[in-house]
Amino acid sequence: MATPQTSAQVPVTVLTGYLGAGKTTLLNRILSEQHGKKYAVIVNEFGELGVDNDLVVNADEEVFEMNNGCICCTVRGDLIRIIEGLMKRKDKFDGILVETTGLADPGPVAQTFFTDEEVKARTRLDAIVTVVDAKHFLGQLEQGDEAEEQVAFADVILLNKTDLVSPEELKKVEDRIRSINPYARLHRTEKSKVELDAILDKGAFDLNRILEFEPDFLEHGHDHDHEDEVTSLSITADRPVDPDKFQKWMGAVLQIKGPDIFRSKGILAIDGAPRRYVYQGVHMMMDADWGQPWKEGEPRTSKLVFIGRNLDGDNLERGFQDCLK
Amino acid sequence: MKLDLADPTWQIDLPRHRSVAGDAPVAGCAFSRDGTVAAFALGDGAVRFLPADLSAAVPAGAAPVHKGAVLALAADPAGTGFVSGGDDGRLLRLALDGSVSEVANQKGKWIEHIATHRATGTVAASAGKMALVAKDGEVREFGPHQSTVADLDFSKDGGRLACAHYGGVTVWSIGQVTLPPRRFAWAGSHVAMKWSPDGKFIATGTQENDIHVWRVAQAADMRMQGYPAKVRSLSWSADARWLYTSAQPVFTAWSFAGKGPEGKPPLQFGQEGAGLITVVAAHPTAEFVLGGYDTGEVQLGDIKSRRSIVIRIADGSPITGLAWAPDGFRLALGNERGDLVVIDLRR
Repeated sequence: MATPQTSAQVPVTVLTGYLGAGKTTLLNRILSEQHGKKYAVIVNEFGELGVDNDLVVNADEEVFEMNNGCICCTVRGDLIRIIEGLMKRKDKFDGILVETTGLADPGPVAQTFFTDEEVKARTRLDAIVTVVDAKHFLGQLEQGDEAEEQVAFADVILLNKTDLVSPEELKKVEDRIRSINPYARLHRTEKSKVELDAILDKGAFDLNRILEFEPDFLEHGHDHDHEDEVTSLSITADRPVDPDKFQKWMGAVLQIKGPDIFRSKGILAIDGAPRRYVYQGVHMMMDADWGQPWKEGEPRTSKLVFIGRNLDGDNLERGFQDCLK
Repeated sequence: MKLDLADPTWQIDLPRHRSVAGDAPVAGCAFSRDGTVAAFALGDGAVRFLPADLSAAVPAGAAPVHKGAVLALAADPAGTGFVSGGDDGRLLRLALDGSVSEVANQKGKWIEHIATHRATGTVAASAGKMALVAKDGEVREFGPHQSTVADLDFSKDGGRLACAHYGGVTVWSIGQVTLPPRRFAWAGSHVAMKWSPDGKFIATGTQENDIHVWRVAQAADMRMQGYPAKVRSLSWSADARWLYTSAQPVFTAWSFAGKGPEGKPPLQFGQEGAGLITVVAAHPTAEFVLGGYDTGEVQLGDIKSRRSIVIRIADGSPITGLAWAPDGFRLALGNERGDLVVIDLRR
């Protein structure tokens, strides 16, 4: 299929976070700072932003299910429409920011950028940024799945309102965040104050930059308080991967566990291939491609990462081992 | 004079045309009711007029009438000019002398689609989840629908208005008699819709690269699959026998004569383009059809002879607007780069 000829794809940053975490403050900061760049902002509550900017677009989070029988394949149709509409403007922008409501699951937003060919031709998902309220996060975890899932999806986390908690409390919150998602870049902030290059143009979904997203911290033993809690898991292997077996196994994993797997990524040393095979996905949707070549003498280590709910580490580990030569 | 695609001169020469740089992406184009002026909706908020007569002088560039982009444009069914909708939430009436009057203003919403009904002089426009219906200086609202209205179209007599949205199509009675709305259901997101000129069928293009068609009388439906991309452009032939669809490299027409298209493949004809058709426009009276491609190519097809000729060479900029003049000899087209083109097919 011929995709329309377009100039460079516009990066899209998804901004998520629980009610009152500081998303609006962050957006106001981005819109009012003198950075010489132009951002279109897609918000849910028109008028909440103090900045009068004609590049602020109001959206209703209109989610629909794809007719493909996959229960977690939900997509934001309003985003498809708005992005196409924005592309009709003469004035182009350096980026698009999509704010989700405090109780939204970031899945449908991210999946929109995996499914719609026209959106893919014009934009690229850059990163999911989650703002966390240091004072209320632990309490929000008790109120439902949203706060936890927003952290699970994140590429970048702003641990905000750090001035409202003691150092001990802050440590506790940070540890909890790390137990859910040790891979996201974490920035401690007050009043959402952060350098814009810490959150924009991160290339978190760029298959060529997957290597940059290594955990900030060494993984420590996760304390499993609840059965259904969200955790991360990484598996490594030094023997080459059989591509057919891997595809079959991964397909089955996503088919069964897709709704529970928020993010997954991996670098594979395929048997006999000179280049890395890299992939990343959201729920059941996945992008994959050949990445950088292996250097001479470099250890060809494959690495898989999952962030999800009820991850059965032993089972996944065993399944992956069966895909090795 | 006749359009004869078998005439060998057609195969050699491109038709007479005029191309003007519009400086902003074209969202759509239309001819005025009397056919004298072609108008182009632009991404800088302007609506640019070009004379249909290729020898007439081109007026200077137009000032923006919308703040942001113009998203929808149609001939004014109750006047000589046009109606336009923009992402500034305004629905405007544009006279040929350049004067502008506001029909509706829905700040915070986009006016993305406009449908018109000539005999009754009615204008319908989408505004978020609502449909606006403007007639004789009065604006009525219909909705809210389940999601943002993705397209709208009138019934043959103008007494009903169909609105596409998530989950299907809702048909409102907008005339004197008020009946409850009718729902035509099909799950998913519908991205384009056209009501057949005989009133019997409503067709939509879906997010899943299908088309869906309902028989209005029985509410029976059918689904046609096999497109490599979303069908964003649908056009019924004037006699309602054919439904032309975009998203194929050749002209693709479903037959609605006799028993309808069930169980039959579509008729595909013409020269295969390098890309896919982005806009189709059936001739206002005869058996011809225009197809604009994502490569910038435009072809004129004749379903009777199953031939097509290239009337504009591919230049890399996708065609985004294509419209016939009422005379059936002239046409207007626009592309993503902002070329505004009027073509006269007469030799």
